[in-house]
Amino acid sequence: MELLYRRSLGPVVGAFLTGLRDQHVLASRTGAGRVICPPLEYDPESGDAVSDLVEVASSGAVTGWTWVSEPLRKHPFDHPFAWVLVQLDGADTSMLHALDASDMAAVSTGMRVQIRWAEERTGHITDIACFEPEALA
Amino acid sequence: MTDPAKTEDEGGPIRFMPQLISLDYTVRTNPVAEAFGAALADGRITGHQCPNCHLVYAPPKGFCPICTIETTAEHEVPVADTGMVTSWTVLTPIQYTGQRERHDYALASILLEGADGTVGQQRLLEIPLDEIRLGLKVAAVWAPPNQREADDRGYGLGTAVDGWRPTGEPDAPAADYREHTL
Repeated sequence: MELLYRRSLGPVVGAFLTGLRDQHVLASRTGAGRVICPPLEYDPESGDAVSDLVEVASSGAVTGWTWVSEPLRKHPFDHPFAWVLVQLDGADTSMLHALDASDMAAVSTGMRVQIRWAEERTGHITDIACFEPEALA
Repeated sequence: MTDPAKTEDEGGPIRFMPQLISLDYTVRTNPVAEAFGAALADGRITGHQCPNCHLVYAPPKGFCPICTIETTAEHEVPVADTGMVTSWTVLTPIQYTGQRERHDYALASILLEGADGTVGQQRLLEIPLDEIRLGLKVAAVWAPPNQREADDRGYGLGTAVDGWRPTGEPDAPAADYREHTL
């Protein structure tokens, strides 16, 4: 069974997804200067509201990963892939996404990856089709 | 109808996000439903006949709800894949997300030959919607053998039957279906 929800996004996540549609990655900057990506509406350390949005790069480094050798139906690929935490250049936090890698040996913490944009972008996290090794560019 | 996934003005700021929530169910089947499903896959409809009141239930329940006694495989009887319409409704599909129906269609309750209760929610095929009537004689249009999946709970006929087509025989008299109309 499937249910389609229509969720209102608010000023921060809405701006983030608008940015993805236009191939820009936005992050929120806290009062202390930390850059959080994906952006939060609040500073997780102080609880203060965050409205300052800055752009970060579309490439970065893997800070953690796990290999999926047998993808499930709802996974973004039908072939083995990695879930990765990616710290985009300019950000102080990591975002979770999928990495399209040839095999587990090709994935390592610290490796450089870049966004592979979806061809049709609608303002959704899936506008980032996945990450791919930067060397392939 | 507008595309429900499209909630924004073209090129404008994104204010809403469509999110599809999926729920998967795993249903444990039971021996009665399993045997009924195996027969369906084989192109046969079966029922259980109560040894006390002799009513035939198709699909079988594994018990007679009137006599409150258990029925088992030894009470299995064949039921025909032909019968008559005892009630029907015409549906106009609302085009919500995931709707696969595009045109008005009819679902009927069908009293199968050899059974004493109707099978509900059965699709009527090959007949104009305004020609459907009580007592209409119909025959099953079976799905291809590899597509006959029974309902694991033992309700209805699953996907085993695509629908029912008129046989062209004279309509059954009212006395034959009066007890079964809704």
